[in-house]
Amino acid sequence: MNQPGPTRSGPDHATLIEAVALHRDRAAFADLFGYFGPRVKAWMLRAGCNATAAEELAQETMLAVWQKARQFDPARAGASTWIFTIARNLRVDTLRRERHPSDLMPDPAAEPEAPIQADRVLAIAQREIRIRAALTLLPPEQAEVIRKAFFEDKIHAEIEKELGIPLGTVKSRLRLAIYRLRAVLGDLT
Amino acid sequence: MIHHHPTETTLAAYATGTLPEALALVAATHIARCAACRQAVATLEATGGAVLDEVTPVALSGEALDRLLVRMDEPPRAVPPVLNPELPAPLSRVSLGRWWPVGPGVRYRPWRASGVAWGGLLLAQPGRSLPRHGHAGLELTCVLSGRFADGSGEFAPGDLSEPVTDHDQPPLVIGTQPCLCIIASEGMRLRGLLGFAQRMIGR
Ligand SMILES: [Zn+2]
Repeated sequence: MNQPGPTRSGPDHATLIEAVALHRDRAAFADLFGYFGPRVKAWMLRAGCNATAAEELAQETMLAVWQKARQFDPARAGASTWIFTIARNLRVDTLRRERHPSDLMPDPAAEPEAPIQADRVLAIAQREIRIRAALTLLPPEQAEVIRKAFFEDKIHAEIEKELGIPLGTVKSRLRLAIYRLRAVLGDLT
Repeated sequence: MIHHHPTETTLAAYATGTLPEALALVAATHIARCAACRQAVATLEATGGAVLDEVTPVALSGEALDRLLVRMDEPPRAVPPVLNPELPAPLSRVSLGRWWPVGPGVRYRPWRASGVAWGGLLLAQPGRSLPRHGHAGLELTCVLSGRFADGSGEFAPGDLSEPVTDHDQPPLVIGTQPCLCIIASEGMRLRGLLGFAQRMIGR
């Protein structure tokens, strides 16, 4: 159960989250846990957490997935994106060593509820597919800075040191990469 | 209509959670009312989602799931109380100090934030200029009410100023209304009375 699960497609995970939301489905949660728990832990490790903190934050993230499943809105973000924002916010709170969760980051669960529109859900699912395609099409030097920023959470000055390129170059590569990703995604909001 | 936005690198730091707290507050205040930046952040968060799918998984401890299953009835973590209902949502739960005069017609009210950046509210009367510090790092200013102008243009409510080069021209409050801004900076060396107030506050 705690082994990294098989790769699933995005919509499948959304269905599992809905099963947790609607039926408090523990088997569906176990599937989500098997896939996302080890991935969140890996991301926390790359972001500089020690093994204990990464394990703890991964568990807290999955607990929040269970607790907040009702607020998951497939018309706003895909399952992986939603869980990424939960993991990120928990890590930010931990770094700030505050007793309470921060409301600095947009809480994906705190948005007003709106009826789900099928075409929006489809559009968001397509966006998630397109962004994966766009990432593979980035020029290598742009992909490298995006990966360092997201996988390893390097601040820009650290990327500068590691790649041995000036900070201005780091910033312009990051800017070009983000422009390109946004261009691929068009006007979807 | 919002005309001034944070740079892409600042939005990326915000989306990955690496922007220091005080700066993230200013960015959040802008993003809350800027559809274009909300879209950019959504794109960056989707990138984060893709990264989660791509990463090589690291197994959790053997009992992790069992341990979670017994915690499932725990209530979600409490949201901090609203302390400042008069301020926009990203600022409403921030713990603010008292107002300090930092020059003729200018007052400053710091908030408590962790990390390397500091920040707070700045209120300046018409015709006064906003204090700014030396450029040791990133500095963000978001207008809440009133307007100011500097070498790079006019700033109205919602606009965010992120100077990328040194500005010799201090921001000047224009129009007939006082200008209320939130500011945050990584810069440690502050000039003049604002620097004095910062030292008094001990941040
Ligand atoms: Zn904007």
